[in-house]
Order: sequence, then structure tokens, then C-alpha cells
Amino acid sequence: MLVWSDKMSEEKKSEAKDFEPKIVGFLCNWCSYAGADLAGTSRIQYPPNVRIIRVMCSGSVDSMYILRALLEGADGVFVGGCHPGDCHYIDGNYKARRRMVLLQNILDTLGLEKERVWIRWISASEGQKFADTMRDMTEAIKKLGPNPIAKKWNI
Amino acid sequence: MSKQKILKVKNSDVNSAVNDFLKELLKSGKLSALLVPQAVPSKKVVFPVLVSDPNKLDANVFAPLLPVSTAKMISKITKFQPSDKPIGVVIHPCQIRALIELVKLNQASLNNIIIIGVDCLGTFSVKTYTDLAGKKNPSDMIFDDLKSNTDKREQYMRSACVVCNQPVPINADIIIGVFGMDTSKEILIEATSDTGSKIIEDLKLDSAKDVKKREKHIKDLIDGRTKKLEAFIKDKKKHVGIDGLTSFFDKCVNCHNCMKVCPICYCRECLFDSSVFDAEAYKYVKKSESKGLFKMPNDSLLFHLGRMNHMILSCVKCGLCEQGCPMDIDLMDVFIPTAESAQKEFKYHPGKDPQEKVPMIVYREDEYVNVGEK
Repeated sequence: MLVWSDKMSEEKKSEAKDFEPKIVGFLCNWCSYAGADLAGTSRIQYPPNVRIIRVMCSGSVDSMYILRALLEGADGVFVGGCHPGDCHYIDGNYKARRRMVLLQNILDTLGLEKERVWIRWISASEGQKFADTMRDMTEAIKKLGPNPIAKKWNI
Repeated sequence: MSKQKILKVKNSDVNSAVNDFLKELLKSGKLSALLVPQAVPSKKVVFPVLVSDPNKLDANVFAPLLPVSTAKMISKITKFQPSDKPIGVVIHPCQIRALIELVKLNQASLNNIIIIGVDCLGTFSVKTYTDLAGKKNPSDMIFDDLKSNTDKREQYMRSACVVCNQPVPINADIIIGVFGMDTSKEILIEATSDTGSKIIEDLKLDSAKDVKKREKHIKDLIDGRTKKLEAFIKDKKKHVGIDGLTSFFDKCVNCHNCMKVCPICYCRECLFDSSVFDAEAYKYVKKSESKGLFKMPNDSLLFHLGRMNHMILSCVKCGLCEQGCPMDIDLMDVFIPTAESAQKEFKYHPGKDPQEKVPMIVYREDEYVNVGEK
């Protein structure tokens, strides 16, 4: 884990200081994506570390997508869905939530911190919440350091 | 509902007693066919065989071998159209559990399927079995073991069987029991459902009087195995973690055989066999440039983790993936611990309750409320 400390070598120090996490974000079309849109049109500033992919529902995000992003070297994965009870497809986000619990077990086996994968409920009117969440997540991943799998070439 | 009967064994020959019993079921017309483990003409291995002519029945139900998933064979028979005639299937406990999971996943039908479960004495890998079969009958070996109440057979057993704490059938219609029985004289025939009772009611079998010895034997066996399972999980922690797991799968050639032999992996075309991951040459070069190098075939860890994610909650720990691996990767070392923890998380026991739904298609509004909030 690459957290800045005095004992680090100079090279590592600069690496930790300059570390800008790459976050892949899967946002549901009906709520979180619209929330991100609102953050943009309202000109709310948030860290540019997230690469957004629009999906129709948080329930359509197979854990495979998340695993692939992590194995390809993403430092964090964000899944955004409608608030519980508000899913456009009635229960997609409840299912996404269950899947996230299962994925956390797989991440345990893989030995990756489960804090690298976030799922949050953000409605279309919560532009500010989206920006805040992105800021929190970027900070949290910076503390965790780069994804150690990114350097593995034998996977 | 449970009816326990005694099947007399002559000259310590359990196999012919069981064969006579099964023949009787076929002859009486109560079953129109039987899927049983039976030796192939070369006698090298025992495979599931669908027998309809009682005279050609030569079953070896206690052969310590599971070359293919019996549950998958029943899925093959019933998936296209459920059977209109009663078919008996003689099947190991782990395969009953797999069958129940396949039924839940709409891949098999229990209509007119009579499940005849056998007490599982453990199975050997196909290679061990064929090596042994050249010298002596592996079934005799396990019965010697049972008689002397020892576990000499364990050195030959697959690791999944050594730590299996569910060796007694559940959800069967009829159980053929040997645990705690004096197998030189008698074995147990137990009807555990109405269908099962109807089938054995006409047979001239004495009622079992005392099964306390059997109950104790089973309890001791399960307790012992549970301890072994816990020790196994503790020991295999070394494979957990990025370094442990990547080196664990280092030998993988990405043949996907573990997926093909898995009773739970039922997709006609697995995502990993499809062209989803095909890419242009420049993308390979780009990927190489990002790390400086990468091993090919690529995405093998993604395959294993993705497959794990899709099937682990229904994993019945039969170990066929490990037996099917051409590179001898001990897959159970990773799959058993992960299955235990994931199934515990959802309080789900695969194969236990046919009415229960698989966890990934149901939810409760008030569960896991912390996931998704700070």
C-alpha cells in the first residue's frame, strides 16, 4: 500500500504524492447519471478521477465488469443507483446490493480491499451528493494507494 | 413418512443384493428406466448408465468414482422435456444437492424422477481408480474399510471427499444405507418420501429394528469430517491474497474444463467462451505497454473469479472442477473456503431446500442497509 510516510524512499514519496487514482464509475441511466449531469450543469467542482460509464440500471452491472476493471488496474470502482425503492425497474438496485455483498466475499479471496468498490444511491436531483461522493471516494482511494494488481503481469 | 427396511445380504456380497433390489424395481414396472453407475465393458471405469432391461443391469452403486456429474446427466435427460415415465436415478449425495440447484435454475425437472441416494463412502480420482482397478476391486477396499471402521481409503480419496461433511443423502426418495450397518449381513433401504414409500411397499423387506448404531456412526463421521473441513479451510488461507491467488492459478492454461465439468455451470455459451474479450492487435500491444509485459493466455484469473462469482453460492463442493483440471490445480483449496464464507453470508445451503430460491434472484428491502450508505 502506498501511503505517504517519512520512511519512504524519495522515489516512492513522489509516487505517493502524485498518485491520482483511476476510478471506473457505472452510473444508472435514471438516477445517478442524471445526478452527475446535474452536478455538471450546476458547475459543481469535483475531482476528475472518475471515468463514467452509463448503464441502464445498477442491477445490470455484473460483478464481472467490476472484477475486470480491477484486474485491468483500476484503483477503484464506483456503482451508482437509484435510492432503494426508487428503481426504474422496481428492484434492480436491491439485486445490485446483494451482488455487492457477494462480490465483497470474492474480493476477500482475491485479497483486495473491499473499500475499493463503492455502491451509493444518488438520485437525479442530488448533483451535490454526487460531487461530494466523488470527492470522498477519490480521497479514500488515495489513502489506500494504487491497486497492487495493476503491476501484476501474470494474471 | 420415513420407512426403514432391511435388505438381506448373502455371502457378504453387497453389490448383488443391491442389484437384485434394483432389478426388482425395474421388473415390477415401478421404474421404466434406471440411471445407475455401472462398469463399462473394459471394467476400467464406472459411468452413469441408463438401463431399461433388468437383465442387463450390473450396477456398481458403491464404486468410489464420480467421473462426470450425475446431476448434469439428469439435466440432459429432463431439460428438453420432463420424463412421462418414472426414472430412478442412483446418485451420490453431492449430486443430489447439485440436482436440486439445477432444478432451481430451471435446468432439470424432478417430474417422474425417483432419487435413490446412496451413502457416500468417498470417491477416488479417475486416475487413482483406474490404477487401482487393475490390481483389485476398489469397491472391496472401501467395504473392508467400512467393516473395520477405519479410513484407509482416505489416502486415495479426492480432497473434496476427504473434507465432505454431507456424506448422507438428503432430499432423496429412497436411501441405500451402509453406514453403521453390518454389511456382511444386511444394508438399509429407507423411504424418505411418499413416492419412495409407494415404491418399496410391495417389496418383501423386513422392517429395520434398531438404527441407533447407524445414527451414531453417521454422527461420528460428520463430526470428524467437519473438524477436517475447518482445518482444511484454515490451512488453505495461504492461497488467499493477491500473491497467493495469482501464483495459485499460474499453471492455468485457460482450457475452461473446470467450467465444463461443473454441475452448476449450465450456460450454453459461457461469456468467457464468447468473443466478448476478443480485441484488435493494437489493444494487446497497448495492454503490454501499460505493464511492460503480460502473460498469455490472458484473463485466466478473470475467468476463475468471474466463474466463482456466478456459481459459488450454489457450489456443492463436489470437486469435479479439480478432477477435471488437466494441469492438476487443486481448485478446491480456493473454492471450498470461498463457498463456505459466501454461503454463510447469505445463510444459504445449496441443495437443502428445493422450495428455496437462489440468493441472487431474491432480496429483502430491509437487508444489508449499510451497503450503499456511508
